Amino acid sequence: MSREAWAQEEIAKKLDRFLGPVLSAARLSLDYELHEGRDDGKFINPDITVSFDGDDIELLLAQKGELLLALEQLTLEALHVPHEDRYRIIFDARDYRLLRIEELRMSAEKAAEMVKRTGMAYSFNPMTSRERRILHLALRDDPEVYTTSEGIPPHRHTVVRLAKESGRTN
Amino acid sequence: MAANRDSIVELVELIAKALVDKPEEVSVRTVSGDQVRVLELQVDPSDLGKVIGKKGRTAKSIRALLGAAGMKVRKRYTLEILE
Repeated sequence: MSREAWAQEEIAKKLDRFLGPVLSAARLSLDYELHEGRDDGKFINPDITVSFDGDDIELLLAQKGELLLALEQLTLEALHVPHEDRYRIIFDARDYRLLRIEELRMSAEKAAEMVKRTGMAYSFNPMTSRERRILHLALRDDPEVYTTSEGIPPHRHTVVRLAKESGRTN
Repeated sequence: MAANRDSIVELVELIAKALVDKPEEVSVRTVSGDQVRVLELQVDPSDLGKVIGKKGRTAKSIRALLGAAGMKVRKRYTLEILE
C-alpha cells in the first residue's frame, strides 16, 4: 500500500461509519473484520479484505453472493473510491471470492494451454470488469498469448489469442 | 413493530445520503400494504445518477439489500426512485 489514503485505519473508520449503520438498519446479523491483503506476487490480491461472519452468512452468499456484492458496491460508492482503485478492496465471506479468484486463474491457465495447442482464440463467458482483470493479470507474463476484452457490458468478455497471430507480444 | 418501519426508512435514507452530493435533499416516503411496502426515494435531480448508478447498478444493489432486509421480517420492500 503506497498511499496514505489506503492506510487500513483510515479505511476502517470510513467503513464503520457507513457499513455499521447499514447492517444494523437492515437488521442483518453480520459482523465484519478488515484484513490486509497478502501479496502473492501476482498482483491480483486486493489490499484490503472485508470478511464477514455471523448468523446471516447464508443470506449474504445466497444467489451467487448477491447481497455480498451489493454491499461491496454500495460501500465503494459511498466511500467514493475511484474506479481504478476498486479492485483494492474486496468483500468476502467463507473465502467465497478468494475461491472464485483461484478458479479464474486456473481457467485462464487452461485457456492459454488450449490456445497454444490449437492456435485458436478462446472466448470466456461475459464477466464483470473485476473478473476480467483477474484473467488479464493471470496471463500477462505469458509471452505466447495475449488477452483482450471485447463487446459491451453486460456481454463484455475476455478473449485469449496466440501472440504471434497478430505479431503482438503483450 | 414500529421500529421495523423506521429502520427500513432509515436504511434507504442513510444509503442515499452517503451516495449523493446534496444529502439535505434526500427524502423517503413509504406506501404500505399488508405485506408490501413501497419506499419512494426522492433526491435532488442532479443526484439521480448517483442513486441509480451505471446501468442501474447502484439501484439494483439497494434493491438487493432491501430484499435481504425484507426476508428477515417476511416483508417485501420495493424501491421507487422518483424522477
